[in-house]
Amino acid sequence: MSERLGNSLKERRTELRLTQSELAELCLVSRKTINTVENGIFVPSTVLALKLAEALSVPVEQLFWIER
Amino acid sequence: MSYRPRPTFDQPTAESVRRTRRASIWIIPAVILQQTTLIFGRHGDQFSQLLGAICWTALTIAELWWLLGLPFRWLSERDQAILNDEWSRSVSGDASRWGIATAAVVGCAMMIARIWVRLDAGIAIFALVNSALIVAVARYWWLDRGESDEDE
Repeated sequence: MSERLGNSLKERRTELRLTQSELAELCLVSRKTINTVENGIFVPSTVLALKLAEALSVPVEQLFWIER
Repeated sequence: MSYRPRPTFDQPTAESVRRTRRASIWIIPAVILQQTTLIFGRHGDQFSQLLGAICWTALTIAELWWLLGLPFRWLSERDQAILNDEWSRSVSGDASRWGIATAAVVGCAMMIARIWVRLDAGIAIFALVNSALIVAVARYWWLDRGESDEDE
């Protein structure tokens, strides 16, 4: 059974009119990290997931979920 | 006109260092090739040996910086955090794994090969270390290649 981490990072970010660079700046990571998380290439740690949720003002479970 | 204050204008940032890393990665195989000819060549005078040692030391420091994320004091804490962020640590970890796997495979191949071929210890160590190094660097370059466009 394959599981994948789904996310609504891009939707929420564009809703707040933030660029990837601006979000990266808020979370103290590179833009590449934001880009790879958005595209499902990279699975972030719990700490980064919580930082992203905090920066985007949404609960973490609204930002990330497991796709089966 | 710049909006960055003058004292920090010329200082490297996380982004500029990332760009430089990506652009200069080809130097590592080039230095290894140059060192191969120097170490195993017949005409290595003292000056060439010294120059080679300097090149090799610089290369080792660069490698440790890339793969282990050693802190450089001229970068701010913020830039160091961005430079050694999760993606970067994940990529360097993966590249290091490939390097270790290469060393294991090449080492095994050498042990088998020495049944039939007489191996020089110096060449064997050089080949073992540098094959691992080149594979790790190539893997790092592959995973961290190209900066995607904003929102792509």
